[in-house]
Amino acid sequence: MLKPKQMSKVLLTGHKDVLEPTIETLHDLHALHIEEYVGEDYFHIGTPLSGADEGSKKLLKLRSIASFLGIKKPYHKPINARQLSSELEGKLETLGDVVSGKLGRKSQIEADLKDVQTEIHEIEAFSGIPVNLDLCRGYDTLHVFAGTVMKGADVRAGLAGITDEYQFITGNNGIFILTVPVRYRAQVAELLAEYEFGEVKIPTISGTPDDLINELTSRQDSLAKDLESLSSEIDSVKAEYEDFILASEELLSIETQKKETPLVIATSEHTFVIDGWIPDDEFETMRSKVGEATDNRVYATIVEEPVDEANVPIEYDNPKIVKPMEAVMNLYARPKYHEIDPTAFVFIAFPLFYGMILGDIGYGLILLGISLYGRSKLHGEGWNSLFTVLIYCNIVTLIFGILYAEFLGFPLAGLHGHPGLIPGWETITLFTGLGNEHITYPIHRTHLVTTLLVLTLLIGVIHINIGLIAGFRNVLAKHGMKAAVLEKIAWIVLQVGIFLLLFGVMGVVSSMLPGAVVFVLAVAMLVAGEGAVAVIELPSVMTNILSYSRLLAVGLSSIGIATAVNTMSGMAWSSGGIYIVLASVIFILGHALNTALSIIAPGLHALRLQYVEFFTKFYEGGGRIYDPFGYKRIYTEE
Amino acid sequence: MVTELAGVTLEQVVASQAGLAAIGAGLAVGLAGIGSGIAEKDIGSAAVGAFTEKEELFGKGLIMTVIPETIVIFGFVIAIMLIM
Repeated sequence: MLKPKQMSKVLLTGHKDVLEPTIETLHDLHALHIEEYVGEDYFHIGTPLSGADEGSKKLLKLRSIASFLGIKKPYHKPINARQLSSELEGKLETLGDVVSGKLGRKSQIEADLKDVQTEIHEIEAFSGIPVNLDLCRGYDTLHVFAGTVMKGADVRAGLAGITDEYQFITGNNGIFILTVPVRYRAQVAELLAEYEFGEVKIPTISGTPDDLINELTSRQDSLAKDLESLSSEIDSVKAEYEDFILASEELLSIETQKKETPLVIATSEHTFVIDGWIPDDEFETMRSKVGEATDNRVYATIVEEPVDEANVPIEYDNPKIVKPMEAVMNLYARPKYHEIDPTAFVFIAFPLFYGMILGDIGYGLILLGISLYGRSKLHGEGWNSLFTVLIYCNIVTLIFGILYAEFLGFPLAGLHGHPGLIPGWETITLFTGLGNEHITYPIHRTHLVTTLLVLTLLIGVIHINIGLIAGFRNVLAKHGMKAAVLEKIAWIVLQVGIFLLLFGVMGVVSSMLPGAVVFVLAVAMLVAGEGAVAVIELPSVMTNILSYSRLLAVGLSSIGIATAVNTMSGMAWSSGGIYIVLASVIFILGHALNTALSIIAPGLHALRLQYVEFFTKFYEGGGRIYDPFGYKRIYTEE
Repeated sequence: MVTELAGVTLEQVVASQAGLAAIGAGLAVGLAGIGSGIAEKDIGSAAVGAFTEKEELFGKGLIMTVIPETIVIFGFVIAIMLIM
């Protein structure tokens, strides 16, 4: 906690004979972050182990089958890896044959279907013309025009001026076929051109258009039926082999990953050197396990040399309950190696701020239900973290909801003669707060604005100063005591100065002098530490603290929306009759909207207080991701 | 106690003062909100552009985007002080 996992740089070296068992052991261990070898001097990059080619070919085949069958990645019961490995070859062969047969048939049917559809489209233009299309071509003395003319054109009337030796047939779709002796061809063409003639090609097929269409349509139907039955066959193959495909894809990926490992390590003619990072507490395990697997023929050692912070891969080191918050950290940046890891702070402050803002039993319960349901339904690390964080947040929301006694914007307890939702529960006045407000239980946020405002600012002061102290520790480790005091402690001194001045103004302290002295001292320290630019930054300490007033403000706006919804639906409800339906609709839609806003608004504002107000005091981030060599099995088990 | 002053009672004066304070508070939050919005829209669009290119920039982009939000918080504080 508070520190990333301590890492050691290690070197493993040995004879190439034992490379394979070494890789095998390291892969199973899933702890060594291998540094890719890029140099080319005495050593050179290794070549893949034997069988790598074959493995990747199988993998390729399997993946193309998986994409043809459309296999997604659901969660399955893991399959035993050893058993799978023994039957993989044969099963993959059968599956390949089955699938390639189906694939061929499918593409054949699809191509046929497409042809039929184009033909239907071509012939459809001629529907209603009772002529065998074969009779429309191949004459020496006759010329056939087929096509359309503009609306309202009377072709027959035009033809009367040329000849009466013609045959004119029109179809259902405005297309006509006009046959004239060849000697009138030029004249008729001219006439038709006047009518904006658009020629349509007569399909080279025999039969009358209507018969052809009937025939083709029935063929289209039978093809579609074939395709349907084929896809149900494919579905049954998919259902049968899904587990096998997912599991063997994983198995082959692991195999390939192992076989290709030499590509990232340094090898000479007879030896290999693996360079990497491993968590301190795993080193001994790794050394003994590798030794066991190779008869102690691999030499493993920790490299004791000063390391550049930027090169160390970062693995969080947090208790299980804090882990989901790492997602919130990753959204910003992973810590650097020598930095404080603030995940634990965020774990406390983020749900606290969220709960303080929302603080409503109704919304808390709804969101808690949604996140519990979501966590059980949606798997994968990202979803899991998201929903777990939401669960934390909404547990705190429930606690604050009880403190505020709010339910979907309704006050549960009565106040000043206004009855609450629970009859008989009256607000108890405890003591007088700021600005003549009465602190009560339950706390009515809308009636305690001044007191709560001051309280939120106090929370801000505490949060920011925790950040400054963490910053002090970070700078101390990096640049020494003098820099740490001048850059971080000075801000704390500045706040003391500001508060003394404020007390002076309010008359709590009799003189302004101590405040002014401390203030000037702090400014001098800051200028010494960060240069004259620090003067520009001075107001930021106030804006940062004031920023925490959102803990109250955003909450009030959420109450505002809820109250508006309740009032509107209440008004509709009391009108009775059909208005009761309207009231329910307003109530449900309004609160659904506010529930959605209740994730976004408090979430973003609580997040922002971490990122902007808190992290800027100490956190840099930007560490490398620790990516240990190995594989997290999902579909198979050893 | 009713003091006549050009036909206006004291209650009316007090009420209209309270009304003006409420209008002032509304203006403080509303105008500050518009100010924040104008500032945030430019930064926000740039930030979205940046982090679609490079996802790691989400945190930094969010910070940059919400910096002007402080303006509306000031407005809110002033509004509360006016109403109290």
